[in-house]
Amino acid sequence: MRSSSQPSRREFLKTAGASIAIPYIITSSALGDGDRPAASDRIVMGGIGIGNMGSGDQGAYLGRPDVQYVAVSDVRTSVRNGSKDKIDKHYKNNDCKAYNDFRELIGRSDIDAVHIATPDHWHAIMVIEACRNGKDVYCQKPESRTLREGPLMVAAARRYGRVVSGGSQRVLEDYKDIVNKCWSGELGPIKSINVNVGPLSQLCNLPAEPVSPDIDWEMWLGPAPWAPYNAARCSGNFSTSGGSWRSYIDYSGGGMTDWGAHHFGGATFAVDVRELQPTEVTYHNDKDKWITFTYPNGIKLTHNKPGAGNLAVEGTPGEKRAAKPVPTYKGHGGIYGDFIEAVKTREKPFRDIELAINTVTLSHLAIITYTLKRDLKWDSAKQEFPGDEEANRFLDRARREPWQL
Amino acid sequence: MLDQAFDALKSYNWGTDIKPLNPIKDAVVAAHEDAAVRKDLETRLAAFLKSDGSRDAKDYCCRKLRVVGSAASVPTLAELLPEKDHSHMARYALERIPSEEAAKAMRDALSKLNGNLKIGAIASLGVRRDQASVAAIAALLADKEAAIAVAAATALGDIGGADAVKALAGAKPTDAGVKQAVIDAKLVCAEHLVKADKKSDAMAIYKSLAGADEPKHVRLAATRGMLACAGKKE
Repeated sequence: MRSSSQPSRREFLKTAGASIAIPYIITSSALGDGDRPAASDRIVMGGIGIGNMGSGDQGAYLGRPDVQYVAVSDVRTSVRNGSKDKIDKHYKNNDCKAYNDFRELIGRSDIDAVHIATPDHWHAIMVIEACRNGKDVYCQKPESRTLREGPLMVAAARRYGRVVSGGSQRVLEDYKDIVNKCWSGELGPIKSINVNVGPLSQLCNLPAEPVSPDIDWEMWLGPAPWAPYNAARCSGNFSTSGGSWRSYIDYSGGGMTDWGAHHFGGATFAVDVRELQPTEVTYHNDKDKWITFTYPNGIKLTHNKPGAGNLAVEGTPGEKRAAKPVPTYKGHGGIYGDFIEAVKTREKPFRDIELAINTVTLSHLAIITYTLKRDLKWDSAKQEFPGDEEANRFLDRARREPWQL
Repeated sequence: MLDQAFDALKSYNWGTDIKPLNPIKDAVVAAHEDAAVRKDLETRLAAFLKSDGSRDAKDYCCRKLRVVGSAASVPTLAELLPEKDHSHMARYALERIPSEEAAKAMRDALSKLNGNLKIGAIASLGVRRDQASVAAIAALLADKEAAIAVAAATALGDIGGADAVKALAGAKPTDAGVKQAVIDAKLVCAEHLVKADKKSDAMAIYKSLAGADEPKHVRLAATRGMLACAGKKE
């Protein structure tokens, strides 16, 4: 689909002046004007899934002088065309290309980076395919839909030396007080933290409706089981109680993954276990059902513990703990600026895909624990439930043909 | 309750109430501690797949057989592999049923399936890392349908091992997409080898992909791999 023999636009612009006597017209835009870097120094970007969250992400990147936004992909015609119009209006040209099939965008050799904000069941396929094509990626949370997908996404990023960032801005921005208290040592050694989040997604059997002429329904479903079109099934609103794809298991883990990515991310950041995965999940079959994750260093992360507030920390009063500097974004412009800075420097972004996967792994483990209603052991090195043949069946789901990771 | 739920399954379809099926859902979870209950559930779910129930109802059964299925339900699921409307959900169960019979069913189906359904079976065998399928999948690397060859390469990368490495090394793709898939699969195989401490074998793969004619990100991947094999940090 892509030709590796063609020089990228960036390579061409870098060498054109030296090797071609009379280059094609170089506009003031290409040379950079005011505070804007020259075109050869801008990050060339495209966006995939640009309806709701993707539109916000796009706006953040489009507003950056160090980004040249050149392409959009969405399976909804109106979204795709509206987005192209917005970008062309921004740049005062007609250059933005719009694609129904994301593979055409990812296959372009002139694009450096993509942002992805499709429904969750598409994330892993798109992130891995982008890495295979040499792209850096900003992927909205929750980054994976199954446990097996996460390590494959990390492996693809590492294999090709790609910068891949997860998407929760709340991890750093919403929980500063508790993060600072923990990292300053004020609370002493940390024993536990609690997260309250939910619900779990449900099976969807909404009735068939006439397929909207605005959507490529087969492409929206992609690797998910076939189902008839229904506007609520594919709505991108933020409902986790039946009004959007976030409610249904084939596309989302519900609030457990959607908000779990934020809360679990903030909690694991606060108690400094974001580089780890738990070894055990304990199911508390009390009047209220709740669970405890146990980390290798002994820290407990509880979910929906009765009486405990969200991100309530249990420290060790009276004991000292050495303060550590709190990691933060690099560059400017929040999580988006952090990603762009990482693309430039080739350092890991704040929400490096491995840390993001460690977070969403908690959501997936929680869903499996609540589904099976029993304790689970987790081997993070092997990415399996040791000796638990039944639980291991939940590691992944067969993808609808022809999709494959 | 369970009998009523299976009765409700007969009229279940998109748009009908899902709650009457909850006893099946609960029984599947509870069956973890009761082999007899598990067996009974599997038998009833597989039997339903032979009925004239709706696609949604049969999908529901496949979702549950993913959890309680065994070699006993494989023949029924295998019969669905060539059916366009049911092939995926049959694999939804078969891919996760750990018995060898499940892999064999998909392996045997390879020669009978075409197009996307064949791609699905290839992909599922790759996910299972089914070594016994390497020869059959390797033969598809030269398939005239590029999408099948891409699926075969990707699956061989998933499976790994000496035979998969040999098959990928012998592939001579001309299609750009197939070529890219073969390269990625070789790199994945090399990673398997590094993990298995067979670094000299991995190094040979990485060296073969470090040439100036490879795309920049592939050369980068090969260089990173060679550094890893040499025990050096980047």
